[in-house]
Amino acid sequence: MGKLGKKARKFAKKNLQSVLKRKRKIKSMFKKKASKSRHFEDQRDAAENEEENAELSARRNSENGDIEDMSLEAIFSEDESDEDEGDVDVDDSGSDGYLSEDSNCMPIAESEIHLGENGAAGKPSAQNQEILLELENKKKKLSRLKAKDPGFSKFLESHDKGLKSFRNENAYSDEDERSDDGMQSMDEDGPHLYLNKLMTSSAINSWCHLVKEQHNASAFISLLNAYRAACHYGAESTGILRSGSGAPILDCETFCKILMFVLREADDVFREMLGISSNCKRDTILGLKNNSKWKTVRPLIKSYLRSTLFMLNQATDSEILAFSLNRLRTSIVFFAAFPLLIRRLIKIGVHLWATGEETVSFHSFLILQDVASGFSSDCFDLCLIKMYKAFIGHCKFAEPALFKHLQFLRNSFVELCSQDLLRSSNKAKVSINNLSRILQLGLQTKKKEAVKKICSWQYANCIDLWVTYISHCIHDYDLQPLLYIIIQIINGMATLFPGPRYLPLRRKCIEWLNHLSSSSGIFIPVTSLVLDVLEYKVSKEVGKPGKDFNFSSAVKLPKHWLKSRNFREDCVFSAIELLSAHFAQWSYHISFPELATIPLIHLRKFQEKSDVESLRRVVKRFIDVVEQNIEFVKKKRDEVAFSPNDQQSVEAFLQLEKCSGNTPFTQYYRSVMEKAASRSLIMNENKR
Amino acid sequence: MGKKQKQKIILPPELPPEILEDEIEVSDEDLQFVSENRDYAGFVSRLDTHSITKHVTRVADVKEDDLEALYEKRLRKTSVVKENEDKGLQLDPVDALPVKTLDGKLYYRTRPKPENGGDENEVGGGEKGGGGNEGIIKLTKVERRAKLKKSKREAKKEGKKLSKPEEAEQAPQVAVLAEVKEDLTAEELFESKKCKLAELGMALLADPESNIKSLKEMLQIARDDNPSISKLGFLSLLAVFKDIIPGYRIRLPTEKELEMKVSKEIKKMRFYESTLLSAYKAYLQKLIASEKQPVFHQVVVRCICNLLDAVPHFNCCEILLEVVVRNLGSQDVVVRKLCCATIKSLFTNEGKHGGVATVEAVRLIANHVKVNNCQLHPDFVEVFMSLSFDEDLQRREVPDDKSKVKNKKNNKRKSIEEPSQLQQNERKKNKKELMLKTRKEVAAEYKAASLAPDVMEKRRMQTETISAVFETYFRILKHTMMFTAVSSEANASSIGGASGAHPLLAPCLKGLGKFSHLIDLDYIGDLMNYLKRLAGGGSSNDGPSQKNSNHLTVTERLRCCIVAFRVMRNNLDALNVDLQDFFVQLYNLILEYRPGRDQGEVLAEALKIMLCDDRQHDMQKAAAFVKRLATFSLSIGSAESMAALVTLKNLLQKNIKCRNLLENDAGGGSVSGSISIYQPYAMDPNLSGALASVLWEINLLSKHYHPSISTAASSIAGMNSAHNQVYHAILSPQQAFMDLLLERESFNSKSDTQKSSSKRKRGNGTSILANTELSSNMSGSIDENEVSKKLGDHFMLLRNIKENERLRDELDRATLSLHLYDEYKKQKKTASTKTKKCKKLLNA
Repeated sequence: MGKLGKKARKFAKKNLQSVLKRKRKIKSMFKKKASKSRHFEDQRDAAENEEENAELSARRNSENGDIEDMSLEAIFSEDESDEDEGDVDVDDSGSDGYLSEDSNCMPIAESEIHLGENGAAGKPSAQNQEILLELENKKKKLSRLKAKDPGFSKFLESHDKGLKSFRNENAYSDEDERSDDGMQSMDEDGPHLYLNKLMTSSAINSWCHLVKEQHNASAFISLLNAYRAACHYGAESTGILRSGSGAPILDCETFCKILMFVLREADDVFREMLGISSNCKRDTILGLKNNSKWKTVRPLIKSYLRSTLFMLNQATDSEILAFSLNRLRTSIVFFAAFPLLIRRLIKIGVHLWATGEETVSFHSFLILQDVASGFSSDCFDLCLIKMYKAFIGHCKFAEPALFKHLQFLRNSFVELCSQDLLRSSNKAKVSINNLSRILQLGLQTKKKEAVKKICSWQYANCIDLWVTYISHCIHDYDLQPLLYIIIQIINGMATLFPGPRYLPLRRKCIEWLNHLSSSSGIFIPVTSLVLDVLEYKVSKEVGKPGKDFNFSSAVKLPKHWLKSRNFREDCVFSAIELLSAHFAQWSYHISFPELATIPLIHLRKFQEKSDVESLRRVVKRFIDVVEQNIEFVKKKRDEVAFSPNDQQSVEAFLQLEKCSGNTPFTQYYRSVMEKAASRSLIMNENKR
Repeated sequence: MGKKQKQKIILPPELPPEILEDEIEVSDEDLQFVSENRDYAGFVSRLDTHSITKHVTRVADVKEDDLEALYEKRLRKTSVVKENEDKGLQLDPVDALPVKTLDGKLYYRTRPKPENGGDENEVGGGEKGGGGNEGIIKLTKVERRAKLKKSKREAKKEGKKLSKPEEAEQAPQVAVLAEVKEDLTAEELFESKKCKLAELGMALLADPESNIKSLKEMLQIARDDNPSISKLGFLSLLAVFKDIIPGYRIRLPTEKELEMKVSKEIKKMRFYESTLLSAYKAYLQKLIASEKQPVFHQVVVRCICNLLDAVPHFNCCEILLEVVVRNLGSQDVVVRKLCCATIKSLFTNEGKHGGVATVEAVRLIANHVKVNNCQLHPDFVEVFMSLSFDEDLQRREVPDDKSKVKNKKNNKRKSIEEPSQLQQNERKKNKKELMLKTRKEVAAEYKAASLAPDVMEKRRMQTETISAVFETYFRILKHTMMFTAVSSEANASSIGGASGAHPLLAPCLKGLGKFSHLIDLDYIGDLMNYLKRLAGGGSSNDGPSQKNSNHLTVTERLRCCIVAFRVMRNNLDALNVDLQDFFVQLYNLILEYRPGRDQGEVLAEALKIMLCDDRQHDMQKAAAFVKRLATFSLSIGSAESMAALVTLKNLLQKNIKCRNLLENDAGGGSVSGSISIYQPYAMDPNLSGALASVLWEINLLSKHYHPSISTAASSIAGMNSAHNQVYHAILSPQQAFMDLLLERESFNSKSDTQKSSSKRKRGNGTSILANTELSSNMSGSIDENEVSKKLGDHFMLLRNIKENERLRDELDRATLSLHLYDEYKKQKKTASTKTKKCKKLLNA
């Protein structure tokens, strides 16, 4: 028992009376809440029911609801509010975990703790030093004054008391506001008092050793408490314990050691203690519930998980995040026992998934994936909804830099969706219906706001997301209705924005259609949409090549761009690329010659009229290749004897050749795509 | 007794000569009766001695021999006349307007007079009543629209409800107001003028005849310098005029008539009418003068439109018409819509003006089109669409048309006024019959005092209207053609505004389609030629070259085809015009059609009218269209595609042999035409050799994403050439088009969510992320040293923050304490002074 401990207590008695009062108050509150949390399961069920109801009503609302105030974000909105309630629940009932531990580890911790250096390793920052200097000056002055006039010191003391109580009130209100961003508000006083005693690296080392070699439970408990303190380090200092917060200073080494050790070893130790293998399922964890071992380990696990989650909230560095996420993932199975922690995990995971850098995002996705697949279907829904919302929130702008991340988000989301197609298709239906209603409003009213909503990155990205989803999953699940609706939506988008300024959007639409068509094997005519692109009326003055403009980062082109030569080129190249993608899909189909007839007529006309030699050459080449393919198909089909109503023979037509994929058109298509890729690459590089 | 007496006195001729008078005993009872009923006797004093003497003298003038006969005659007639005379207390009108009746007969002359007069009064009263009601309604409208001050209007309304007594009270008020007027400030002046306007208006509405002079005063106010006062004046006058203008056209008396002696009331009437007319004219002049000023433009046009709508029969309606027609193409949307609505209502409610205004309006429009060289707003011609031609009149014309065609088939006519000559022709033929009819009708019409002209007149006007309308239409067509011909020479300039170049063409074609049954047969040939050339994109002589077709949009050209077919269908057997060219045009236009740019409804209509409605087609042609439509539907949106497929199915049903296209019969078999190989790029359906082709498109179409299209395609594929099945009547292309239109799309998934048990619930293993380079190399390779280093940094950061916070906190406290010291000192001082004071007090 060191001096400092006594000192601190004295200090606390002297200066922190109001704090103690408050502590008592809070403890009584905890008791109430703890009693509440006994009905924990009931509550959870109720919450789930509520959520279901909310979702239902949300869906109903969005169906019957007022069309006018539709927005993309509005979807699933009632779930959100429900979840917030849930989070509050977490805070309330979750705090009992630590308190029960206190009595266990208190004596051990105290016995181990010994006096440490008050002076911290490492230099304080320059700013701190400045403040320190000023402080010293003022203190000197003050002491001088006190010495001069004893009456003043009395006055000061009396004044201090009033001040303190006032400040504490402030702190109260502060914490009420902060109640949702962590659990510190509730349980910080208890543990803090004894953690004021310092832990040195030697103590930590011995603990680590004990834990590693002997699986000493008590050492592990104190280690976990230290881990908790480390995780909360920094976050707590803002609280009321300001004046006493100088006490639990760890040095850098200790801090690292605690965190690294616990993160690295905790999972193994838990498994060791419970005697389960490293690849057990959720059911085994749930099965352990009545086990006596479980009862002792449960609080430890909970403390560990909570601390880690808290740190995930606090930390900003991507390496730390990635590491802790990765470690957390190994012990994700333990979350099964703490449904409310799962919610928090999902919340944090989604946040990191959406905002984090590559690795962090990836790791949090892995966690989300595990959560979604490993736990109840509610978790899956929750993940899905949260992720979708996060995606919507993040896809408002598309800069080239963000593009890749968005792509990752989209793909990972689809990946997650594909884990449970039944549920995800329900969600998709709701979302797509929402999109379609927005479009319908736009088509019917042609109002500016409605149309603006459609011609935005957010809308386009949502469509993109579901297009990817449908084309990825259409072979595994019956998504025909969704497919039909989304095709109609895309067609509606394309017809709603016919002008040349919307070339990028139009391009995107056609790309989606081609994508859907090739993945689902159905026929989606795009010819007329492509030909529009080819025949955009541009003013004659095709002069200077305009400034480089990245196609992929805009839905709508700036006006001046329309006059540049690049625009003309872009139109033609886009048309050729899109058409060849369309044709490539059907180049082995028996009706390819007819499919190509009308586009060819228009392309020939264009070739005659166009006065730009380079463009003419490109078009000419395309025409030649298509004609070649027409001849090829014609020749083959003249040889067959079946009629159009013989669907099976038609399906089998030219399948052999298709597999070999060596016809000139296929090769041409490949080259076109390569060129397009290189073109966009050059564009991007120019941009940089 | 009294009654008898009365009768005797009223009818002097019936009275026996003086001698008899002595014999009449005026008994006491009689005297008593008279004295008791002064009123009854009152008429005695009012007896028009003048007329009586006139009667008497006239009788006296007659020769002695005749006199007796005359008296006898009159006695005989009394029984007949009696009842009439009972009513006819007023004798004056009988004498006053002897000229008006055409018949010479006496009782004819006397009887209808009072009745007519009564009728007129009644009608007038009724109209007035109705007008009054209308006035109220319209007043409120006017009020709302013009945003007049409410107080004034309400006052007016009230004024209308309350009647004369109030009026009497107002008279002095007006006088007082006039006196005070000079002293008022500008604003008060404004108010007072408003009140004046309201009062005058009320007075006029309450009793137009006696207050007719105040019209001039109102006019004076309307001429005010203040535009808002003027506007108020215009609108008030409008309301007043709408109410008081009679249901007939006022004819001012000629000089001769003026010379004639007339009764007081006639004079009064004449005065009233002439005042009204001159005020009205002045009003119109003022309106037209201020129409040019932008401040007044809308108000004036509104006034004029309202007037034209309400009183198209009245004098000066031509002036109104002129203004309204001129403003049909106004830049101001409100004005334009207003004028259009007025003209349309003029056309639809011909009863109000008997068609005169219609003719005039149509003529004016035609002139405008001519003068402006067809560069006008489409609304100009659009209004023709609401013209309606009396079917009864038309029915009588139709047989004549036919007979005429039989008789004078070779007789070429050039002038457009031809139909009116025809009328004259017919007139001769049916003269007798018509005479009889006319007589009856005239009598009936006069009885009803209706203003409608006779049938002949009506017919003449209608013919005139028709000719003017078609003149306009033809002018537009001609102009469009000339324009395209000219610009095809200087092609480059006009490519930009293709649709803007012919603003009138679309409504013109629409109108031609609607009224095609009225076109004279002799013009149909020319019309078809025009249409042919327009459908070909300008000039058919050079063949449809690409440059020319730029000038007319696909929609317009399709419309031309539709109109041509409409015209042909409406005059079915009469003509032998080759429609082949239109098929060629359609065949090529299908290729140029582009959704979004062109109107799909028109395409569907063209398909319907040209391909579905015709009973029989040339086999080659049908096959060519079948093939083309199938190809077309491969490259177009679902709605157009569906329309094409419906047409295709229709064609296949009607042309059994075309079903060979569904069979892969090498070389087309027996049915293949002269051309053995299908040529998809041929311009002429007859030369495409489509019979040799196979409808492979159906296969691709059955994979179409839209369920209805894939079903339609499959059903087409199932059609068999062997059996001649009877197919159900299928829906029209237009219907099919509308059904599948995106705007109509409900976006409801076809709710047949069959639980697909066969499908896997869980996706297959292939991960969409598999190809992203992230996946594998990232999971394990996190450098722990790096992490611990970062953790250290993190810790340092946190500690610094913490330290900073702590230091700041202490600093704050220290400074606070220092500040407190000042406070402390102050307190101490006051305390010390207080104690000092206390001490002093104590000392004192």
